[in-house]
This record gives sequence, structure tokens and C-alpha cells, in this order.
Amino acid sequence: MIGLIYNELLKITGRWRSFIGFIGIAILMPLILWGFSYGGGEIHDQYVRQLGDNFIVVGSIFNAFLATYIVMNAFWIHMPFLVALAAGDAIAAEGAAGTFRILLTRSTSRLKILFSKLFATWIYTTVLILFLAFMCLGVGTLWLGSGDLIVFDKGILILDQSEAWIRMALSFGLAIIVMCVVTTLCFMFSAMVNNGIGPIIGAIFLIVIGYIIMAIPLEMFDKMEPYIFVTYFDVWQQAFKDPIPWDRIVKSLWVLALYTTGFIGVSIAVFLRRDIKT
Amino acid sequence: MILETRNLSKSFGSRIAVDNLSLEIPEGSVFGFLGPNGSGKSTTIRMMTDLIRPDSGEVLIKGMSVQKYHQKALAGVGAFIERADFYKHLSAQTNLEMLARMDGKGFDNIPIVLKRVGLLDRANDKVKHYSQGMRQRLGIAQALLSKPKLLILDEPTNGLDPQGMKEVRDLVRELRSEGITIFISSHLLDEVQKICSHVAIIHLGQLIVSGKMDDLLAESDLFTIEVRVQPLNEAKKLLDNQDWVRRCDEINGSLFVNVSRDKLGDVTKLLVQNECRIEAVIPKTSLEDLFLSKTGLDEPQSHRGSEKK
Repeated sequence: MIGLIYNELLKITGRWRSFIGFIGIAILMPLILWGFSYGGGEIHDQYVRQLGDNFIVVGSIFNAFLATYIVMNAFWIHMPFLVALAAGDAIAAEGAAGTFRILLTRSTSRLKILFSKLFATWIYTTVLILFLAFMCLGVGTLWLGSGDLIVFDKGILILDQSEAWIRMALSFGLAIIVMCVVTTLCFMFSAMVNNGIGPIIGAIFLIVIGYIIMAIPLEMFDKMEPYIFVTYFDVWQQAFKDPIPWDRIVKSLWVLALYTTGFIGVSIAVFLRRDIKT
Repeated sequence: MILETRNLSKSFGSRIAVDNLSLEIPEGSVFGFLGPNGSGKSTTIRMMTDLIRPDSGEVLIKGMSVQKYHQKALAGVGAFIERADFYKHLSAQTNLEMLARMDGKGFDNIPIVLKRVGLLDRANDKVKHYSQGMRQRLGIAQALLSKPKLLILDEPTNGLDPQGMKEVRDLVRELRSEGITIFISSHLLDEVQKICSHVAIIHLGQLIVSGKMDDLLAESDLFTIEVRVQPLNEAKKLLDNQDWVRRCDEINGSLFVNVSRDKLGDVTKLLVQNECRIEAVIPKTSLEDLFLSKTGLDEPQSHRGSEKK
């Protein structure tokens, strides 16, 4: 199985499309950090104003943690586009290229091939999120320095540096899980077609529909919300609450795991029965 | 039998691609699989290799169902289906390494198969820089990678020049001498006749005929004979005017006359009666004749054939 996963990683890294996310982050993050560094005074003042008369602010509260927190909030909607790029191609590209004819005629079961592809896309997703974390926290620390993290969420939460690292690790860990759900959704669509773009559009379309349902304040939609997987995509934000709402995190992870299992189940059902005609 | 299909059927929508097809491929044979375009050859081969699921029936390799036991049944099988498609951004070596990993084997056999198909010195070139012929040869190399006992080749000479075709033909003969059973589909009937010991013809998804090549050609009720005769033009005109002559072609100073078995004697009789001088009569029954007669593809043309020259 490890050999098969290695094969899939070779294929992913061989496609330039897989690097769009990395290139985007590598270009965008230094720009954002530069923006924070030289034009972040306004945000700093806004934070200080919100802290009001209760705190005496010494030095800058603007550091890598705060920058990462702001970036994650801003970037969150767009990350599915980037992680879907590899998953969309995972199966569909083989159909389009005709390479299934050499893969599926070998003495390896389709199930093994399917899971090796799924694990490889999960690895890709994990590496992409970790790269984002490295660019935000690693490069951010070098550029902006570190310090306490101040989060405004129904009150003021000040996390000291060591606690901030733990919360960031938890947050990125949860983010990886959420993005793996997106990957699996895209992967499911990839099992159905022979075109790598279709699954990406399909997955993003479903996610956008979910966000729309969440955004429109209709009673009918409100009732639907708990059953929509997109509702739980913000689970990573729970890492910045105090105390950490573990029950909500666990519930979110359960729902996401159920959806993921469903997506994998459909992928298996489709892929194992699929006739290879290309 | 190393490979069997039992009552294999497959439909795509309302179109029946393969209809109750049963084949038996003896171990050690080179089995030619023929049929006109759209006859169900590719669908059959894809069912043999588990790329397409049959609606009914099954494929057995060494008695093991491909549909039920994919992994075990295909363990001793190498397949080259239709066209050689690889990961073009990777080298031939890397492509074969990936496939060796899938087979759970080491890379020892890679240089051997690459040498066998004449690509060893180009092993590290990316496949996107390969010509169509080189890709076809790489396709055969990947089929040989797992040291198969049964080789399934679907149109392996597509895109190859005459020299390449000859190399494939020689390779098939060589593999057969090593005891490998080869199931080969090709639209090049001459190629098949040259290398196959057995042949099956399908048409509209149904088996028309199957058996040993020599037996089928001997049993054929159609014969092509090469007649060396003088004067050539007069003889051709005479034969062209006979209803019972299916085809009469002039090739390299000889007449190739296609008639039914019972009219064989009438050819020489007619020529002698008309004072033509016969120098030689050589039987030349071809697989093409058998194929055309069995599939009925020669029927739509006017009785004596529009192919007459």
C-alpha cells in the first residue's frame, strides 16, 4: 500500500496544477505579512481601541499569531479551491489520460488503488495546510515576531505565547481535517467522471450552496443547518475559545467523519462498478 | 485452457456489444482475435482484463474467475489494451517502476523488458518525448514486466512502421517459444495469419468461428489461387466475365482468383478451353478470405465484387 501511495504522490507532484496552491501561498503570504508589517497600524489601533480602558497596551500586539489568525479567517473560504486541485484529478485524470488501462489490468485490486489515491490526496492536503502554517507562523514569526495572541470573540481572550502555539496547532489540525473532507468530496466526484475540472466545480458548488443556506436567515434553512457539512467547517475557530468547547469540536468531527465516510462509500460504489471505456 | 470466456454478454444501453460469447484459449497458443470495427473485440478484451464488467457470463484465467478474484486471476497476465497511454511527464523508467510497485515486485526486470523492446537507451527520457511507435513498444514492455504466462495484446502494432510490425511479430514468436500464451487482437489479417496458431472471428458481438488456423483455412469453402497464365489480360477478362468468380486481381504478373471450392477445377478448365497457357496454379487461401466470408462483409458488394480490377 505504501508503494501505491508513493506512486500517487509521484503523479500529484508531476502535475503543475498541484503546485498552484503552494505558489499562491508562497507569493501571497509574504505580501500579506509585508502589508501587516508596514500598513498594519490601522488594525493595531482598532485592536487597541477595542481593548479600551481595561488594558494598558505596551508595545505592539501585532505579531505572527494575530496575523495568522486574521489570515486564516480571510483565507478560509478560498482554501477549498486550492485543496480541490489535486483531488479533482486523482481519479478523473486517469480516465481522461487512458492510464486506467495499464493500472487496472494489473493484479492490484481496485479498492487498494482507490484508497492509495485517497490517502495521497489527504497527504497533499495536509502538506498544503502545513505549508500555510509554516508561511504564517514560521515566516510570520521571523518578520513580525511573536507574543501574546489577542482574540475578540464575544469578549477578549488573551493567550500567552506558549498557549497560543498550542491553540494554533489545534486550529491547524482541525483545519487539516476540514480540508480533507473537502478533498474527499472532490475525490467522490472525481470517481464519477473523466474530467479533472468537473469534480472541482462540483465540490466547490456544493460548498457554496452550503454557505448560502447558512447565510440566508430563513427558518427552513436554519433547520437544515445542523445537517449540512459546511456548518462544521468553522470547527478550527473553536480552538480560540476559552474554555475550548471540546463537546462542540467532537460533535463537529463526528458529523464530518460521517460525511467523509459517506463520500468514500459513494466513491467505492462508483469506482468498483465503473466500466473503463477510455 | 489458460483463458476461457463463458457466455459473456455486455450491452451499452440498447446496443448489444458482446452476445453470449464463449471462447477457449489453449495454453501455449498464439490466439488471433478478429472482427470488423464495432464487432465487440475491445469490449471482450476489456472484460477479460476486468476493465469492463460483463452483464452476464464470466472470464476464467486458469480456471479462476477474473470478476470474482481479480487480483489472483490477473497475477500471471500482462495486458496491452488498444493504445499505449502512460504518465507522459514521467520517464519510461519511472512509469515502469510505478507498475512494478503495483505488482509488488522489484525493478530488476525493467532493464530486461526495455532492452527487449529496444528502449533501454531511452529509459530516462520522458514519455512525452517518445514517438507513437516507441510508446507502443513501451506498452508491450509494461505488459511483459510481471513475467506473465498469458499476454493479452489489443492492436499491438497500431502506429508502428513495417519494421516495427516485424519486430512485434518476431517478439510474439519469441515469447511463444518461451511458453507464453498470447491472445492478440489485430485488424491486420496478414499479421495474424503469420503469427497465430489459433483464431476466432466475432461479428456483431457473436462468435462466428473459432479453431486452429490451419484447420479453419483448410475447411474454408472459399479458395484463392494464384494462377500464372499467358496471355494475362485475356485470361483476366475471361475470368472477370464469369458469375462464379468472386474476385480476380492481377498482382505482380499473376492472377489471384477467389472462387468457391466446387469451382476450383473450372478455373483451369476455362483457361485451357480458351487456349490460355497455364504455367502454375498455387493455392493461396488467406485469412482475409475466411474473415470476409465468415463475417459476410463481402456480401453487400455486387455478386462478383466491385473489387475486380
